[in-house]
Amino acid sequence: MIASIGAATIEIVKGVRGVFALLADILYWICLGPFRGKAARAASIFYQMVFVGLHSVVIVFFVTFFSGVVLAMQTATQLEKMGAVIYVASLVAVSLCRELSPVFTALVVAGRVGSAFAAELGSMKVSEQIEALDTMAINPTRYLAVPRFLALLVMLPCLTILGNFSGIFGGLVVGVTSLSINSDLYIQTTYKYLELKDIYTGLIKSVVFAIIIALIGCYEGLNTKGGAEGVGKATTRAVVISFILIIIADCILTSIFYFSKV
Amino acid sequence: MNQANDKAVAISLRNVSKSFHGVTVTDNVSFDVYQGETFVIMGCSGSGKSTLLRLMTGAIKADVGSVLIKGKDISRADPRQIDEVKKSFGMLFQYSALLDSLTVEENVALPLKEHTKLADEIIRIIVKMKLALVGLRGYESYAPSQISGGMRKRVGLARAIALDPDIVFYDEPTSGLDPVVGGVIDKLVKDLSTKLLITSVVVTHDMQSVFTIADRIAMVHKGAIVEIGTPDQIRNSANPIIQQFIHGKPTGPIDFFKEDSDIEAALGL
Repeated sequence: MIASIGAATIEIVKGVRGVFALLADILYWICLGPFRGKAARAASIFYQMVFVGLHSVVIVFFVTFFSGVVLAMQTATQLEKMGAVIYVASLVAVSLCRELSPVFTALVVAGRVGSAFAAELGSMKVSEQIEALDTMAINPTRYLAVPRFLALLVMLPCLTILGNFSGIFGGLVVGVTSLSINSDLYIQTTYKYLELKDIYTGLIKSVVFAIIIALIGCYEGLNTKGGAEGVGKATTRAVVISFILIIIADCILTSIFYFSKV
Repeated sequence: MNQANDKAVAISLRNVSKSFHGVTVTDNVSFDVYQGETFVIMGCSGSGKSTLLRLMTGAIKADVGSVLIKGKDISRADPRQIDEVKKSFGMLFQYSALLDSLTVEENVALPLKEHTKLADEIIRIIVKMKLALVGLRGYESYAPSQISGGMRKRVGLARAIALDPDIVFYDEPTSGLDPVVGGVIDKLVKDLSTKLLITSVVVTHDMQSVFTIADRIAMVHKGAIVEIGTPDQIRNSANPIIQQFIHGKPTGPIDFFKEDSDIEAALGL
């Protein structure tokens, strides 16, 4: 029992150290790579941006649109009792921009993209492709992890902005159709109470989530062991760990913003 | 052996040992590989021959001893020096290890794009030449998954020699191939070392291949070198381990049924 707790602790410490080493390695290649003539290739960054960003648009749209719809309906019932139905607009907008859109978008992308990173890099690891890169003096971190990291860092905030819009649109649809709020009034109320800081705190969150998803996905992939089973385990772990870390990071960031009155 | 001593040394292992989780996989191994020769490392599965190869490519670092590739210790030098050494050798992997996401042409072009400043046009010509060398012209636009295992191995070989290396490492080049394709690969290995004067280090347990391509052979057993010699010396060796191995006898000093005797001992039989 104690031995297994000890072994698990050692594994976790090893994992945390490995993830930070990977982060340091990625930052090294991003910052110093270009000066050594070893910058990540624009083509592969662009390819990853398309995969991470463009191909996630539909799912992010649906998830945030319907959470906007649900949020509007749930809050309307409560606000109706106080005759304050119009505030559905501002409530939906603020809670989406600050909280729901960054978190839902990150969770969706962790499930779609983080798992794909782990599965792809994991298969490459078990079929000796990573070792082949290393033997050709091509650093796997620079060649594989850096483009994925940069692509997520750019595209996740973009997807979050898309999520903000589609969620607000979802709220608007409910407001106009079932709450009989005039659409101009709805949009006006949204703008009136939505502040810039609501949007940028959400975007700061999404940048942190992007780092988490990219790091965990790449780390699990690059450290896969043991054939097809190992790839499966790495993929599952990448998603589970990303989810947990996203929620924890969200809680920490929210409390920082809350206590610093941002 | 004496005449070989006059040749320049390309790879030199000095008292190299390596263990994983307390199990010694490479046990105090020393040997030299001379420039331009084809050096074959043979041994049973699990004898530590692949570990030896990975020690030479720098994928595994030695616990003790030094692995000198062209005078540089690949397990101790600083990363930039190791990268320079790595650019001077190529490696053919057991399962080819081509990048799935790239076409045949892009795979062969990868080391050229990463390590040279050549224009794309010139790289394309070089890739064509390398593919022609392994008999695969016209397959540039195929994905690795669209071609057969033997073809993948040949693409892997084209990639290994893309940067005109001095040394090429082969990990089981003929395993999993039909005898004809195996023969083709053997011929390619032989041609590369005679025509381009490449030093070749081949890890294999394909006996036919061993005696066709080898200039010298090292027999590895339980992580240690049993004997090094020319094909004739090995064929006529008095060592029972070597005789059992090259004739594929199920019984002998290589104790395949060791686990069974353990069980019998445990049962008190």
